[in-house]
Amino acid sequence: MPFPSLRPTSRSFEPGDWPIKTFRSQSGAEVRILYGSARTGMAIELSYENITDSQAETFLTHYNETLGTLRTFTLPSEARTGWTGSAGSINVPSGNAWRYSKAPALTAVRPGVSTVTVSLIGVL
Amino acid sequence: MAKVYTGRDGQLLLAGVTLVKVTSWGLQADLELLETTGVSDNVRTFTPGVQSFSGTANLLYYKADDNSIDASKLLQKLVRTGTAGVTTSDLVTLTLRLVDGTDLNDVTLSAYITSLSIGAAVGEIVSAQISFQATGGLTTATV
Repeated sequence: MPFPSLRPTSRSFEPGDWPIKTFRSQSGAEVRILYGSARTGMAIELSYENITDSQAETFLTHYNETLGTLRTFTLPSEARTGWTGSAGSINVPSGNAWRYSKAPALTAVRPGVSTVTVSLIGVL
Repeated sequence: MAKVYTGRDGQLLLAGVTLVKVTSWGLQADLELLETTGVSDNVRTFTPGVQSFSGTANLLYYKADDNSIDASKLLQKLVRTGTAGVTTSDLVTLTLRLVDGTDLNDVTLSAYITSLSIGAAVGEIVSAQISFQATGGLTTATV
């Protein structure tokens, strides 16, 4: 099953970085070497507050189907809803895909209502 | 017959027994709302959360002919000796009633007395103000 097509109630995004290794000499001079041509390691955290338990369960099912943090997947456009800039700016660049960086956190709010927070990382 | 209710129609019952000298009572019903506003929404949306009931009452410290003080039954839920504190046995059943002849409009709830204040002042009748917090749902709601 694809990642659930729900609108998050909050979203945070970090654009990641290029694979760079930094060397600093005793004098303080710094050398940076670029080891790859693609930016990677972008992170996105999506919160879905006060959704129904059945909606929350879809995240657990998806996490199960991706074998936890193993398999990669794409995010539906709903995950970027409300962003009026270019969709690609808060998505993984070409060649990257999302995977879970940790298990979804599920908080029970009241009977039938839960809050789910999902943390993803972009990988090549 | 049409009727406008006044304070004269109000009663407060403790475990089904009317407290004699109650000068006022109030009931507060609250609903916690859970926000469901999405990142693309311009207007906030909500879903119902947990409900709760609380209230206040003002009782005169009044001694009846048989020397009983019916306010004491509530006051002693908080004002007491010992170190045991309040336990579940201190739960009280309160009925807030509006009477129209035989027509009774009741709200009945199980509650803990959560605050109490009493004082004496020159030229004033001694009265006690209590606040209560219901636990669980209402057992009667015929308002």
